[in-house]
Amino acid sequence: MKSLDPRVNRLPGFGQGEVQPKAALDQLGTYEVFVQAKEGKPFQHEGIVHASDIELAYILAKETFTRRFTCVSLYVTDTRDVYVSPLSEGQTSAYDLLPAAEVQQGEQEMYEVYHLVKRGKQHVHAGEVSASSPQGAMQVAKQQLGVGKVVYNVWVIRKKAIRYTTDTDKDLWLTLPDKKYRDASDYKAGDKLTAFLEKAKHAV
Amino acid sequence: MYGGGNTFEGIKTDSLSQEDPQKLAEFEARIARGEKIEPGDWMPDMYRKQLIRMIEQHGHSEIIGALPEGTWITRAPGFKRKLSLMAKVQDEVGHAQLLYSAAETLGKSREQMLDDLITGKSKYSNIFNYPAFTWADSCFISWLVDAGAIVNQLANAKGSYGPYCRALERICAEESFHLKYGHHCVIYLASGTDKQRQMFQEALNRWWAPMMHFFGPSDKISAHTEVLMKWKVKMSTNDDQRNQFLDMYVPKIWELGFTIPDPKLKKNTETNKWEYTEPDWEEFKRVINGDGPCNKERLEVRRIAEERGRWVREALKSPSMRYVTPLA
Ligand SMILES: [Fe+2]
Ligand SMILES: [Fe+2]
Repeated sequence: MKSLDPRVNRLPGFGQGEVQPKAALDQLGTYEVFVQAKEGKPFQHEGIVHASDIELAYILAKETFTRRFTCVSLYVTDTRDVYVSPLSEGQTSAYDLLPAAEVQQGEQEMYEVYHLVKRGKQHVHAGEVSASSPQGAMQVAKQQLGVGKVVYNVWVIRKKAIRYTTDTDKDLWLTLPDKKYRDASDYKAGDKLTAFLEKAKHAV
Repeated sequence: MYGGGNTFEGIKTDSLSQEDPQKLAEFEARIARGEKIEPGDWMPDMYRKQLIRMIEQHGHSEIIGALPEGTWITRAPGFKRKLSLMAKVQDEVGHAQLLYSAAETLGKSREQMLDDLITGKSKYSNIFNYPAFTWADSCFISWLVDAGAIVNQLANAKGSYGPYCRALERICAEESFHLKYGHHCVIYLASGTDKQRQMFQEALNRWWAPMMHFFGPSDKISAHTEVLMKWKVKMSTNDDQRNQFLDMYVPKIWELGFTIPDPKLKKNTETNKWEYTEPDWEEFKRVINGDGPCNKERLEVRRIAEERGRWVREALKSPSMRYVTPLA
């Protein structure tokens, strides 16, 4: 095999290897990413990243979702640490579809609660609750955050399982304003185009 | 970047008769109401399969699409152009990550998608099987191939599958930078020296046919797509997208004094549609099936990238190794 591009021909092993199928989890596990767009606005779910651990997930989330002025804070958690309610529709709230759970006694922990209030949109932060299990957190959230509301899906996440943004992490976004070349507004060529068209007109 | 051109294979509708009719009716009613389908919802098998194929191919197109431009980063004229092109290529690879994630919600693992790309089992946008000989080719891609992709992506962003739409919204926001950057580059070539102008004209001559192929075969010969339109998987026909692209960009190309290599190209003022020489669909099929100038090397470059990254992924998977200072 020979490429038309000398740079490609210089790649070590070009044209010599076999395709090796990927082992399970070759691409690592997934982490859910939540972003706060502006100070005072609620966090919302943005998507996932694949990473080997939560620290790397945090860095990749920053690269994937906040390369431009899109956030003031973000956090990540292992997908397996998100406890998910059934999905409801119409006028039925997901809270009404929860399996009956006995409120257990035990050590109380804090949970973040996310609601899907409009199908097709992202899950948005609704508040936090204290409970001794994810099932319990769902029940507490139903009473504290779900009364009189139609919520199509509920997620609860133990706060201890979340990698939050610390004060020093905020430096990650400090250089963003200097990177104007990532922005469409940095490519104004109107004057150049007008000058070109003027010249072309006179040439005719 | 993307085009409708790689999802041209027909779809088999026979699995549809095995679906639960009531669930199917509810599913279709939801789409007709304009509601999105979410990963936890019931969906027909064919919908799932078609979406996986489409989103996955879109993801592959972003990754492979970054290759012809990627090799131009070190040769881009000047520091500013290098910075911009690097940022654009980074965006494209980021788009692939967003799209793979959306496809994953339908039940196909990222391992499998990457395998299927490298072994040639799944396709990607055909236009990236052509070479970028000069800087002007890279500019053509940034401006016009991205413009074509935007036409396609804006349409798909109104589709029915929630995670795909949300990924596309994010992607479209970034594409506006690509488009502006590409146009900026071409304006500079157009108002430059005769040699620069000639360089872009030659790139235009090389890329026009693949660009017309980009939106997929004409509606006259396309496999029937009514079900996909009804399910809002496909949002507009190949010919409509091609026409929209010509409408928006032919005037801008002409304005810069370049000649489009198709003597029949003109807008019919009565039908409001563009007329053009019918693209060579045989060549399109030949190239998409592996016989283009760059098919093999694109996959080979991808294979090498995967191989070279393997030890990193393996090291990351076993972080339990710890260095201990020797005792004596
Ligand atoms: Fe893209
Ligand atoms: Fe792009």
